[in-house]
Amino acid sequence: MPLLDIKNLTLEIDTPLGWVKALDKINLSIDSREVRALVGESGSGKSLVVKSIVGALSDRWKVTADRMNWKGQDLLSMSDSQRRSITRSEISVVLQNPATSLDPSATLREQIEESIADSQLSKGWFWQRRQQRREISAQQLHKVGIRDHDLCLGSYPHEVAEDISQKFALAMALVSNPKLLIADNPTMGMEPTTKVQVLRLLAKLNKTRELSILFVSHDLLAISAMADTMTVLYCGQTVESGKMGQLKRRPLHPYTKALLDSAPSFRRDLPPKAALSSLDGTIPTLQHLPIGCRLGPRCPRAQKECVKMPDVRRIHDHHYACHFPLHRDKI
Amino acid sequence: MFVYLGRRLNLLFITLLILCIASYTLAFLFPGDPLTNLSGNPTTSDDQTQQLRMMYALDNGYIAGFWQYLKLTLSGEWGQSLTSQNPIFSDICQFLPASLELSLYAMAVSLLIGIPLGIVAGLNHRRYTDMGILSVSLIGFSMPVFWLALLLILVFALQWGGLPMSGRVSLIYDIPHQTGFMLVDILRADIANKQQVLMDALHHLFLPTLALSIVTSSLVIRLTRRSVINVMGSDYIKAAYAKGLSRTQVFWHHGMKNALLPIMPQLAMQFTVLLTNAMIVEVIFSWPGIGEWMIQAIYQRDFPAIRGGMLAVSALVVIVTISVDLLIRMIYPLSKKQLHAQV
Repeated sequence: MPLLDIKNLTLEIDTPLGWVKALDKINLSIDSREVRALVGESGSGKSLVVKSIVGALSDRWKVTADRMNWKGQDLLSMSDSQRRSITRSEISVVLQNPATSLDPSATLREQIEESIADSQLSKGWFWQRRQQRREISAQQLHKVGIRDHDLCLGSYPHEVAEDISQKFALAMALVSNPKLLIADNPTMGMEPTTKVQVLRLLAKLNKTRELSILFVSHDLLAISAMADTMTVLYCGQTVESGKMGQLKRRPLHPYTKALLDSAPSFRRDLPPKAALSSLDGTIPTLQHLPIGCRLGPRCPRAQKECVKMPDVRRIHDHHYACHFPLHRDKI
Repeated sequence: MFVYLGRRLNLLFITLLILCIASYTLAFLFPGDPLTNLSGNPTTSDDQTQQLRMMYALDNGYIAGFWQYLKLTLSGEWGQSLTSQNPIFSDICQFLPASLELSLYAMAVSLLIGIPLGIVAGLNHRRYTDMGILSVSLIGFSMPVFWLALLLILVFALQWGGLPMSGRVSLIYDIPHQTGFMLVDILRADIANKQQVLMDALHHLFLPTLALSIVTSSLVIRLTRRSVINVMGSDYIKAAYAKGLSRTQVFWHHGMKNALLPIMPQLAMQFTVLLTNAMIVEVIFSWPGIGEWMIQAIYQRDFPAIRGGMLAVSALVVIVTISVDLLIRMIYPLSKKQLHAQV
């Protein structure tokens, strides 16, 4: 049974032009011990998927889904306190922009200690518990590569550097020993050495502690090194999902191909000084979403049928949503 | 921190100096003899005039005159009132606490009403509760304070008759002047039926405080509401929800502090607005405060008193503003980010 199973997740946002579907029938599932990558360009709704999983959305937005199960329990229909206890102990999240997702008026120590559940503490008296909280948070900081834990924990968020706060956010997410870590761009803005360090930490936790990871990023190199499976998003729609190797070797959706082609490091045949390939145009804004397959206006293979949303088709573990996938012959 | 303290104290010092310069200049700009305007002593004999000119160093040029004036001001020699011939400084010491008392209570009441209502409105953003509170605050905000005060007198004092219309305490009681704060004085005074006097003083306080706090609390509501809305929409609140904290936990641990601390300076700024309003209200309720006293001085063209009152009130406002600034600096970590003033 998958750990997290999402089927047809739709998120509607109230705009002056009426309700707009920012996420349109997203499918995503994460098995235990799996590292799944969620890929897409900026504005494709990756962060919205993350926020709807953990319920950190504005009340005025409508989230609907056919299924949003955590170990078989429906997250959307359960009571608030049940859902909270799941997000508290089993799912952890590192949101994008960790610097702004830390409370500016509390020290980092207060914030990380807040994430340590009482059940993790073994000792009885409150001073012992406090001591234990301190030890746990210091250990956790060492794990993510912050050496001077006292300095870091005593600071306020505006006093630490961007990459430190990024690592700190990761430490804070991992401190509650979650089953699933949702990491929204966890290595953004880090220097390459620390990035490698953090990715190695995640990979190690995945192996040793059986931590499942939903890795949201546009860093294709990091993803291909880490992830087992990948889901590609475009403009709030799931475009293709499947095993990492399969997807890399033989993408079926034109968008996936364009995305992989746009990363020069994946193309061995790229001659020097050749033009880099990219799709024409830009991702549409929320106000001007095309109907049907949202890639339509930019797709090299688009036809009349593309104004209807294609059904999700499946070849073994490989899901794609396209009327004219690449493995069919020339149109 | 010490650098900041130094900068603020420097600002305080310079502002007070400028105020002194302004009040000294006023003595020459007011109609009439500068000497009379400074001393408040309409002298007749040459001898006395000479003595006063010596005292204020008027013949030694403006700079020396100002220096002398500064020394006299600091030692509490603010001249005499033209009309009553009382020393101005002791008059101010007597009347200013009454105004301060009224403003402090009104401030406390408006914070007690305004902050909770603002928080409720902010948390229920765009719901009926929010709209209700907002429209009530708009009404309170748009009512001129003098008209409101008259209306309150009309309803509560004249038609209903349950509350007194003017003064600080009923004339039948004689409260010795100690601190100038009526409630404190009553508590410290050695009088019979203290309870009864206290109730009477509170009755007298009720209407002026209400008139003042309606306007201020509607301002406080609006400020708090806006700040709560901003904070509750921010990333770290979402992150706190994502940690699995409950709504109440999120609000009390992360929302409250971040919503209220940044608006503290603005809330403190309301105190100066309040003080201005208090002066108007004092006149209407015949409250023996600095506002009433100054308006009487203006009516009677009592220039030394106007000069002294202006100096006292503006110095008070400056001191309050800067001390609140320092206080916030001490308790709000984010403010340490900005050492220098921002545009």
